[in-house]
Amino acid sequence: MNQSDSIKTIRLSGELEIGRKDEIRDALRRSPGDRAVLVDLSDVTYADSVALTELLRFCVASSHDAIPVALVVRTPQFARVVEYAGLAGAFKIFGDRDTARVYLEHSGAE
Amino acid sequence: MKRASELRLHCPAQPQYVAPIRHALTAFLEALQFDRGVRDDVTTAAGEALANVVEHAYARSPSKIARDVQLFARYDRDGRLWVDVLDRGSFIRREPLPGRGFGLRIIRAITHQLNIDTTRGTCVSMTFEGQAFLEKR
Repeated sequence: MNQSDSIKTIRLSGELEIGRKDEIRDALRRSPGDRAVLVDLSDVTYADSVALTELLRFCVASSHDAIPVALVVRTPQFARVVEYAGLAGAFKIFGDRDTARVYLEHSGAE
Repeated sequence: MKRASELRLHCPAQPQYVAPIRHALTAFLEALQFDRGVRDDVTTAAGEALANVVEHAYARSPSKIARDVQLFARYDRDGRLWVDVLDRGSFIRREPLPGRGFGLRIIRAITHQLNIDTTRGTCVSMTFEGQAFLEKR
């Protein structure tokens, strides 16, 4: 995790699936000073509904606290499984980190 | 021209076995020369069925019962691909809770046909067919 400014970055990689449920939940945590969160999933090669549920829980909780969250997704499988689950509107998804940071900065992070 | 082929796997219904089963299914599909998009979708659907077994199938079962899961994949000469995921537990029919229950939704979005037989344990039978799905993705 990287927290060089008010945007906290959480990086997850590899296969996000049921066998890593606890690890995913542990990674998706905010600190009191966080004003925005970039969840970098660029190196995720596979995601299942267990991972989506954890991501959704994190995004909903952050939204309740008025903390914007942006996801960076590059893997076609990940993008499709979000669509299949009917969750395309539930996440702010970007194809690269720079665009995601611009979104977060304009959402009041800085 | 893909040849007819079968894959059978049998493992304990535990989280650490789900990824290896998916990887074996991926290798099976690679050997049949399915492209990346098809492999991703089929293994995603199978992964959801497997995760469902691991998370829910044996929650109400007596401890003496063997808690295992089987995957059976078959590709026939008519261009149809079947993947069955079987367990000896109980299928829980209920309305999805808010923010949960995405697994079956994902499976339904991917498969051409889905059948869930709960006569003895649960058999989730997924069929993938059609030119658009199997050749162009």
